[in-house]
Amino acid sequence: MATDTQAAAPSHVDESAVVRKRGAGIAYGIIGLLLGAAALAFLGSGDETVFTLDRTLSGARWTVPTRAAVIVMALVVLACAAWMLAGIRRRLFKLAAAIALVAIVIALVSWSVSEPGMVFRTESILAGAVFLSLPFIFGALSGVVCERSGVINIGIEGQFLMGAFTGVLIANITGNVYAGMLGSMAAGALSTMLLALLATKYQVNQVVVGVILNLLALGFTSFMYDQLKKTEGYNSAYGVPSNALDGIGLGFLADIPVIGPVLFDQNLFVYVGLILVFVVWFLLFRTRWGLRTRSVGEHPAAADSMGVAVNRLRFWNVTAAGLISGFGGAFFTLANSLAFTKNMTAGLGFVALAVMIVGRWNPLGVLAGALIFGFASQMAEYLDAAGNSIVPGPFLQMLPYAVTLVVVAGLIGKAKAPAADGVPYNPGDK
Amino acid sequence: MTVTTETEAPTPEQPEAGEQPEKRPPFMVLFGRYLTEANSVMVTIYSLLLAFLLGAVLLIVSDEHVRGTWSYFFSRPTDALEASWEVVSNAYVSLFEGAILNFHTLDRMAAGNADVGDLLRPISETLTYTTPLIFTGLAVGLAFRAGLFNIGAQGQLVFGMLGALIVGFGLDLPAIVHIPLAVVAGAVAGAAFGSVPGVLKATTGAHEVISSIMLNNIAALFLVWAIGTGFLHSATRSELVTKPVDDSAIMPGILAPIDDDLRVNYSLVIGAAAAVFVWWLLSKSTFGYRIRAVGFNQHASATAGMSIGRTYVTTMGAAGALAGLAGAALALGVGSGGITTNTALEYGFDGITVALLGRANPGGIVAAALLFGALKAGALSAQPDVPVDMSTLLQATIVLFIAAPALVKALLRLRAPRGGLVTLEAKGW
Repeated sequence: MATDTQAAAPSHVDESAVVRKRGAGIAYGIIGLLLGAAALAFLGSGDETVFTLDRTLSGARWTVPTRAAVIVMALVVLACAAWMLAGIRRRLFKLAAAIALVAIVIALVSWSVSEPGMVFRTESILAGAVFLSLPFIFGALSGVVCERSGVINIGIEGQFLMGAFTGVLIANITGNVYAGMLGSMAAGALSTMLLALLATKYQVNQVVVGVILNLLALGFTSFMYDQLKKTEGYNSAYGVPSNALDGIGLGFLADIPVIGPVLFDQNLFVYVGLILVFVVWFLLFRTRWGLRTRSVGEHPAAADSMGVAVNRLRFWNVTAAGLISGFGGAFFTLANSLAFTKNMTAGLGFVALAVMIVGRWNPLGVLAGALIFGFASQMAEYLDAAGNSIVPGPFLQMLPYAVTLVVVAGLIGKAKAPAADGVPYNPGDK
Repeated sequence: MTVTTETEAPTPEQPEAGEQPEKRPPFMVLFGRYLTEANSVMVTIYSLLLAFLLGAVLLIVSDEHVRGTWSYFFSRPTDALEASWEVVSNAYVSLFEGAILNFHTLDRMAAGNADVGDLLRPISETLTYTTPLIFTGLAVGLAFRAGLFNIGAQGQLVFGMLGALIVGFGLDLPAIVHIPLAVVAGAVAGAAFGSVPGVLKATTGAHEVISSIMLNNIAALFLVWAIGTGFLHSATRSELVTKPVDDSAIMPGILAPIDDDLRVNYSLVIGAAAAVFVWWLLSKSTFGYRIRAVGFNQHASATAGMSIGRTYVTTMGAAGALAGLAGAALALGVGSGGITTNTALEYGFDGITVALLGRANPGGIVAAALLFGALKAGALSAQPDVPVDMSTLLQATIVLFIAAPALVKALLRLRAPRGGLVTLEAKGW
């Protein structure tokens, strides 16, 4: 894996060695102190955060005094910071960082729903977070497949738009939502096939062409939207059944508290997304195809000398990745039961790229990153809909973009892309 | 002409074959060779032609009536061909009429129902849409020369617009100071916002494409919020629109002496000056030399003692200032209207296509801005007949071919030019 090569470069790193993480320790320490001080200054003793299980147990209700909760979480953060400063086993550092982050998130969430009349609908919010992480999962998986093969796919946004548009169009023409899904996959694959052709046969700059393909998809879908709007019946909303498991007799699983609504009361897209994460991971790291793909992305000349047809493999991998991002496009229309509107993807294709980087070009990392972004989107949506938040709506909607910015700025220097990512391979000039 | 071709006709290939290789081939042969070679001029021309051809195909395919006539093509082919021709020619003629010259106005002028102002309106509209495109095109193009892909011109433009607007209505000054000050405020706001991706890239290595796209979205949402605040929101209107700039800050119209309705204003002149300045900057100044050096080979530049990080920050700042000027042109050009969330259109994204078509050269950028300004004006005036996004679609198709000259070369079986194909590069992660 790319991350390993970087860490292992000087010599073998002893995972059980005790190290001091001064930078991270101080940063977490400051955050913890600020959090505690802010809770003491701004939260009254009467503020309460209410957690409910709204889907399965209608009576369940836990009330937590907000100030105490935030202060406890601040202490957890401070404890992690002290641990890092005093010296921590390298293996446990990630764990401490994750605990501190979760504590910060819990503190902020319980604070933000402490307004009178607001409750934290645990099941709805977590289920919504999983659902909203789907475009990031599909987009980032498509990016992973492309970039592991050595082709930068900045055009995910465009593939989303093509998939979203074509999905609705085909569903309307055939009257079948599943045909629509196939249509959006085909549209995504056709878009990436163009990228693949330009990247392998014509050796163009993939970043530039990717951005142009986005504009092209935006122009094309908006143009067709206007043209087809003139006649009825090409852009009506089509949706999938809201609970896919109900259809195969597993609907009763949805009644389990917390886990039920989150995992067993979702529509088809959620299951496809979650399964796909593991399928892509297995294919990339446990099969011959995966080894070849990764070798083509890291060192195409070496792969070539071992008999791998570099450009042919890249072409088909990138085209196949379009199936995934095209299906991700169907999320915007078919999974949400919405008609197509111009530019409805609103930059989420680029957020998906950030998720790919956060996930370090690994499907399992992508899943974790996507869930974080899905949770951020869901919280923003929830607070915005509740309407009595201190933060204005537009700022809440900025949240996923701001998180992307912070995460990309914080991580990209440390996350290593596949070595030959974005470099056209010309067998002639080895 | 006819005479020269006839004298050439009897001596076709023999002199070229082997006996007199040094003899310069006749002009027509050279010209023909030039036409079939994938040099940058011909690639540009063929890209335009191919894009308009593809646009025509899409117009035909997406029109329900025309699709109907194609369904019985084999029994009555003329119907399908006529209908297709009609829909395509209607679209392109109305684009032309909306952008350059309306023949109906000429007729009405002959009858005495229209004046010169009416005749000049399409041109004025084209130049109005060209103005911001020159700035955003320069903003993307300048960054390109440093190897940076600035797709954040849209966000920089939004902040430039807000900066110019606030100075435009907030201060009470005579026009001679007020207008320049508002323009400068736009540039400064744009520069401040634009330098953020540069700083992030220089300090953390975050790729400018992702960070500037995120900043675009953040800027768009910020604009929605800002317009709604009491400070900016119009005192007299309830919808989401800002206060207008003071009369003393409104950019005067160039053609206003002929007709008050002709919107093109002196921002166009500032745009032309900015293009000249960027040309000077890139080809004559130390800063421009550094930009080009870093864009060409950053390792060599670093070895030569240039600070790569500082060049990223200053280049993105300068690019942001240019995009901010586009915002100022919009804010000071809307007159008494005030800014809405729609004022910025997609000028920032169009700047990408302008810069690519202009191959990041100031002269080329001005020409490309004129072409795309005309497309925009045409598409907007031809509203019911032509979908608005016809202009976006054509622009993206044109620059796709421009960015992939090898594709044009292969499609049209052109010959390779001596210096190789010209493309623009942007770095990966």
